[in-house]
Amino acid sequence: MGETTYSTDPEWADVTPIELDDGSNSSVMPLASIAYPPEYLEATSYLRAVMAANEMSERALKLTEAVISMNPAHYTVWIYRAKILFALNKDLNEELDWLNDVSLKYLKNYQIWHHRQVLLSSKPHFPTIPAKETTFLMEMFAQDSKNYHVWTYRHWLVRHFKLWDSPQELQDVEYLLKADIRNNSAWNHRYMLRFGPRDTDSPDAGMVNAGDIEKMPSEKGRLTVVDEEMVDAELKFAQEAILRAPENMSPWSYAKGVLRAAGRGLEEWEGFAGKFVEGGGVKSSHAVEWLACVVAERGEKEEAVRLFGMLEEVDPIRKNYWGYRIKSVEAAA
Amino acid sequence: MTEQAARPGIPAMFTQPPPIRDPLVTETLDLQNATLAKCLPFLKGIHSSQKDFNEHGVPALQRDEHVSYLYDSLEDYPEGFVAMDASRPWILYWGLAGLAMLGEDTTRFRERVVATLRPMQNPTGGFGGGHGQTSHVAGSYAAVLALAMVGGEEAFGLVDRHAMWQWLGRLKQPDGGFRVCEGGEEDVRGAYCAMTIISLLDLPLALAPGSQARDAGLETLTSGLPEYLSRCQTYEGGISGSPGSEAHGAYAFCALACLSILAPPEEIFHRHMDMPLLVSWLSARQSAPEGGYSGRTNKLVDGCYSHWVGGCWPLIESSLAGKPTSTEPPANSLSSREGLTRYILACCQGNNGGLRDKPGKHVDSYHTCYVLAGLSATQNHHYRTDTSVSSKNFSSSFSWKSSPNRSADNVFSRGDRLAPFHPLYMVPHKAAEEMRLWSEAHPLTV
Repeated sequence: MGETTYSTDPEWADVTPIELDDGSNSSVMPLASIAYPPEYLEATSYLRAVMAANEMSERALKLTEAVISMNPAHYTVWIYRAKILFALNKDLNEELDWLNDVSLKYLKNYQIWHHRQVLLSSKPHFPTIPAKETTFLMEMFAQDSKNYHVWTYRHWLVRHFKLWDSPQELQDVEYLLKADIRNNSAWNHRYMLRFGPRDTDSPDAGMVNAGDIEKMPSEKGRLTVVDEEMVDAELKFAQEAILRAPENMSPWSYAKGVLRAAGRGLEEWEGFAGKFVEGGGVKSSHAVEWLACVVAERGEKEEAVRLFGMLEEVDPIRKNYWGYRIKSVEAAA
Repeated sequence: MTEQAARPGIPAMFTQPPPIRDPLVTETLDLQNATLAKCLPFLKGIHSSQKDFNEHGVPALQRDEHVSYLYDSLEDYPEGFVAMDASRPWILYWGLAGLAMLGEDTTRFRERVVATLRPMQNPTGGFGGGHGQTSHVAGSYAAVLALAMVGGEEAFGLVDRHAMWQWLGRLKQPDGGFRVCEGGEEDVRGAYCAMTIISLLDLPLALAPGSQARDAGLETLTSGLPEYLSRCQTYEGGISGSPGSEAHGAYAFCALACLSILAPPEEIFHRHMDMPLLVSWLSARQSAPEGGYSGRTNKLVDGCYSHWVGGCWPLIESSLAGKPTSTEPPANSLSSREGLTRYILACCQGNNGGLRDKPGKHVDSYHTCYVLAGLSATQNHHYRTDTSVSSKNFSSSFSWKSSPNRSADNVFSRGDRLAPFHPLYMVPHKAAEEMRLWSEAHPLTV
């Protein structure tokens, strides 16, 4: 690096680069100008030129790789690259191999993940999920088990290839939860595998019924057909997680979501939640909240107020919120 | 090791680990413990870099240093910042917004902002992250807001609104959402940025010819949008970046602000969000004892969520307050303003100006902007009134007012007050209103 290449390269002799206009040509000083390295300035000048001509060529493809290596956050170059790959009918598996290395090098980058999604969206190229796909995702999770972009991509992958019941999905979720029972991203993925909408003719949603204007927001998540056996197994899974770490919010929220999907009430966990509240001090603020919700729903105002009051003690940062819940209970008819 | 006592005036709940802690150690807990250990000396007010404490044990806002930092953030960057090449509109927005909150006059940058943004605008509509870059809603959002903050004919007139309208039509998707750029991903950010641009520039709502969504049967830029956002609510109650992903604070703000542009929050929130679930999740984002917010369940506190999560509260509180009247409704805070103020002033201020994610992290203009925005939101009471500067569509977006919060849990010093920001557009109220009125006075014919 360091020496300029494109201007002396015969392969690029026919291209007139488009110089960067960062505002410096005006009568006033532009803001936030960057002292770009010369090789970046040159490469992006040629990029502007081939993009303006919508050139779909091997040399343009190579140029996108050069720009990405200098600035992977340059979103435009990724979109252009995807177009070229399809136009030249390139081997997309080769692209994935290259992409794997780039992804591990730039862990925080997210353009990469949209690019990957664009590639795998191509049914002719990928009628089924590539063999090493989930293995690579687990490699990413080994670096950052809560990477939002990787999880978003994995969710897309599940829906695109209809992998809700693929043993690999649940196995990976369980592996990650075993390593860290507090990995909320893994819990979220589990919820989507178990209870997410599967009708791919309708738009995707975090919960079934969501976005249906005929239904109330409180009906979001409620399944029409419930596999009670699966629901019971999921509730048991959540209970086991809670027993390991009762103050971990993830399985409590998960269980609430499971009961919501099944149309079952919170009261069936009254006994379970109670174990973490009475005798020998409170072991879980989430258990207290659970009980407070149960008794409030039953109209036991005094007990609900007592429990929300207990939350003001054990979870004091949320005092105003607990106070609001108390007022709501008191105001209820 | 002897535990050094906290400075007087600081309640124990902000200096001691939360009352309930599980013994089981996992990576999540390790990271939380390490963060707490880093934050504690700052929360206790005993770190050597802190200064100018008030009677609540809270250090003063280092106003002059932050102002210098932000002015500097608008000037030249060395070559190591090449990764920001696609984010220059954001650098402008963060810098100007931070300065505006600190009471500086941003109109002095008018010519320079216009000169900087002009080459980033594409004739096919919208602004890219830089010259020759594909137009992007995030870059366009930042560009439009930067123009709003410098104001004036030259700035407002820079935007090719007709091309912008056509371009946004091409980003609109059949499911109601927006892509962030042509060939790019569809997410809640896209929706919020698009609606900000549409409403501030008073763009026509009809979908332009050539729009994929129009071919799919949608009629307007807003068609199906609330339903799309509704599908982003998760079983936890929060809102994800796209349907099916994990609930996340930054996307929660984008979704709620977008809904609040579309219709008054007291109407539209209840129609599309499970409110009890949403409010519960939002409230659980506040970390103890740090007082700041995390973006997701079991993730770490980060100063930028002071805005992304903290900025949801005025919208939620307004939706719970019901129909606006001609008088200011009572301020009912559902969060700990004291906790957030303490986290921001004790933990987020860098040594030489600028604000940060958390102790041990470097300051940057993104965090400086959004940490200040969180402080500003918590210092002010935001509410809607029954009058708006606009009588056209989205008029409720232009009916927000604010007054300084005078509640008992104010722990910042008098001199630390920041200017209030419009809770949906994240610029001064006047900047948003003037851009809107200028646009209404220059109607587009399509």
